[in-house]
Amino acid sequence: MTPQLPDHYGRTEAVLLIVHPLLLFAYWEATPESCRQAHETMGPEMDGARVVLRMYDITLIHFDGTNAHHVFDINVGLEARGWYLPLWTPEKSYCADLGFLARTGRFHTIARSNIIHTPRTMPSGRTDEQWMRVRFERRRKPVGRALEFVAAPGSGGQISAEEQHSQRERLQEDIAASLGEYLAGGIPSSNQGFA
Amino acid sequence: MSSPTRGYLCLVLHCHLPYVRHPEHETFLEENWLYEAISDTYIPLLRVMDGLVHDGIDFRLTMTLSPPLISMLRDPLLISRFERHINKLIELAGKETDRTRFQPELHRVAEMYLDRFVQTRHAFTQQYRYDLVGGFERLQEQGKLEIITCGATHGFLPLLNVVPSAVRGQLRTAVAHYEETFQRPPHGIWLPECGYFPGLDETLRDVGLQFFFTESHGLLYAEPRPRYGLHAPVFCPTGVAAFARDMESSKQVWSAEEGYPGDPAYRDYYRDVGWDLDYDYVKPYIQATGQRMNTGIKYYRITGKTDNKQVYNRAWALERTADHAANFIFNRERQAEWLAPGMDRPPVVVAPYDAELFGHWWFEGPEWIDNLFRKLHGSSHLVEAITPAEYLERHEVNQVCTPCGSSWGANGYHEVWLNGSNDWIYRHLHIASRRMEELTSRFGQADGVILRALKQAGRELVLAQSSDWAFIMKTGTMVDYAVKRTKDHVHRFTRLYEQLLSGNLDFGWLKEIEDKDNIFTNLDYRNFS
Repeated sequence: MTPQLPDHYGRTEAVLLIVHPLLLFAYWEATPESCRQAHETMGPEMDGARVVLRMYDITLIHFDGTNAHHVFDINVGLEARGWYLPLWTPEKSYCADLGFLARTGRFHTIARSNIIHTPRTMPSGRTDEQWMRVRFERRRKPVGRALEFVAAPGSGGQISAEEQHSQRERLQEDIAASLGEYLAGGIPSSNQGFA
Repeated sequence: MSSPTRGYLCLVLHCHLPYVRHPEHETFLEENWLYEAISDTYIPLLRVMDGLVHDGIDFRLTMTLSPPLISMLRDPLLISRFERHINKLIELAGKETDRTRFQPELHRVAEMYLDRFVQTRHAFTQQYRYDLVGGFERLQEQGKLEIITCGATHGFLPLLNVVPSAVRGQLRTAVAHYEETFQRPPHGIWLPECGYFPGLDETLRDVGLQFFFTESHGLLYAEPRPRYGLHAPVFCPTGVAAFARDMESSKQVWSAEEGYPGDPAYRDYYRDVGWDLDYDYVKPYIQATGQRMNTGIKYYRITGKTDNKQVYNRAWALERTADHAANFIFNRERQAEWLAPGMDRPPVVVAPYDAELFGHWWFEGPEWIDNLFRKLHGSSHLVEAITPAEYLERHEVNQVCTPCGSSWGANGYHEVWLNGSNDWIYRHLHIASRRMEELTSRFGQADGVILRALKQAGRELVLAQSSDWAFIMKTGTMVDYAVKRTKDHVHRFTRLYEQLLSGNLDFGWLKEIEDKDNIFTNLDYRNFS
């Protein structure tokens, strides 16, 4: 017999998860108590209020609830309890409020989510370099290893720095060109279980 | 260049299976994953490596042994059941040599299987004395093999990280299990599904791990842009090193169409006597329910895109493994020659694969590895096999970058483990993780039956977190089993949590689930703080 898992845990929360750089998944739970409080606070404005996920773009800021770069609402409905959220730009930080949005525009938050940072989809524009010397510890756990910053190594000595640079650029372009097709293939076909 | 070596090859085999052990059933279909992997992959790989050592061939291989796999390989019940499994195969192969006695081509293949299974049993019982983990450990002690760890139960860390203590629990438990098994700490880790997110390296550093692997774009999209792309590791800001998978060498081996395993000479995986032969004849060797299944005896070669398969010719297939090993080395040499002039060190090509590709899916895979190392040792002076540990000893200076969040699943991020087929699990996994953390703070000290219940709660939590369940739900085969495992473990966890809070422990039931879910005997429940 497979046991049934609870539909509700009696905990008001909203959680964001990353599917890929342009897609999030959100799930939530709102206890009857949270809804009752919302009714109390909003009063008559609850009439016709919608349940929305209010998304905040908080990339590179310390979010205080008011300073998001960009805010948008997604109509969800409490009963859905989970929702996929398409995005249009990678490499952003988001958090979300689950709440009631009244016709008057008043918003009452039921739960604020965790913060997520969506990954990059292309090579970084930053090409500054930092190098470090770290001692490898064989058969021992490295405890408080010293991380020593050092000068960037020079060329291999066989070709000029300029040639090296242009070779690396070509290489990166080659790799970038084939990356999409490669990634779409996913994990080795062997990882299909043994069925 | 001060060294004659032009390039390094870091071959990595990831050995993992989910913890599947059902003492409550006399036979259990999903336990066959382990038995097939032992006979098809783990024993053949051990024999290849021990053969290399015996012949004085120097080689370097890196291998994950995930904690569930180590635990299953050391479990007395599963060991005895594997012996039963191989005995049945020997019995079937014996019947097959008789049945095919007037068909010389098939007969030769049947004899190959009989011989192979007898040798496998001998290796298991006599050569390795029922202890394959010990076999791998000896190779590590000889300096040929680097055994790395994995998440405790292969939890997909980027999606567990909503509750950071869940990630700490996976990693601390894995490292402690490794130390218990090998009496030394692991140097590195295979992140489950190559799942990395920025900041994970802080937890890796805290548990004493010095390197990990990412999918290619984990480094290609790192910040700042790494000077050497995929062909040198970087240090995360924490000093933990990240090595990235090389695309070209990956494709050559595992691509079903362009890759070596698709060669017409190699054995066809799909045509199996379990499906082909008379029902009453194969009935003792298929599922107890009477449903047909693969037995492991397969007579045909891939031949081509045709249903008219030709009979397997072992000698011909083995010749191809030599050709393919030579081709792989040739390509690595050209790659090294192309890359090396732009670098201050030999470029490293990291070639990781699921271990079960070798022997189970690609029947001749272990012989390909054998040929690869023999040829590297004998004739290639341009490419040198290396482990990440050796690389980091030789090259202490590396660029500092933060890798990009990534995985080796389809399209490179999280969608294999988070989609419409499996998104429902995360609500339960996250709440259970939070509750486990709560238990660690409520029970700072514990002994007796409370301690047993806390340890069991930790076991149920990590078993529920295995990425294998979400993966199976996505792929669509054996889904019921994956759903049941997820629900069973979450349910058992929840019941333990409630009993611990109320103080009403059900001793009889606790004993029952301790016997069923017996992984991590010495689990420290405080790992989840």
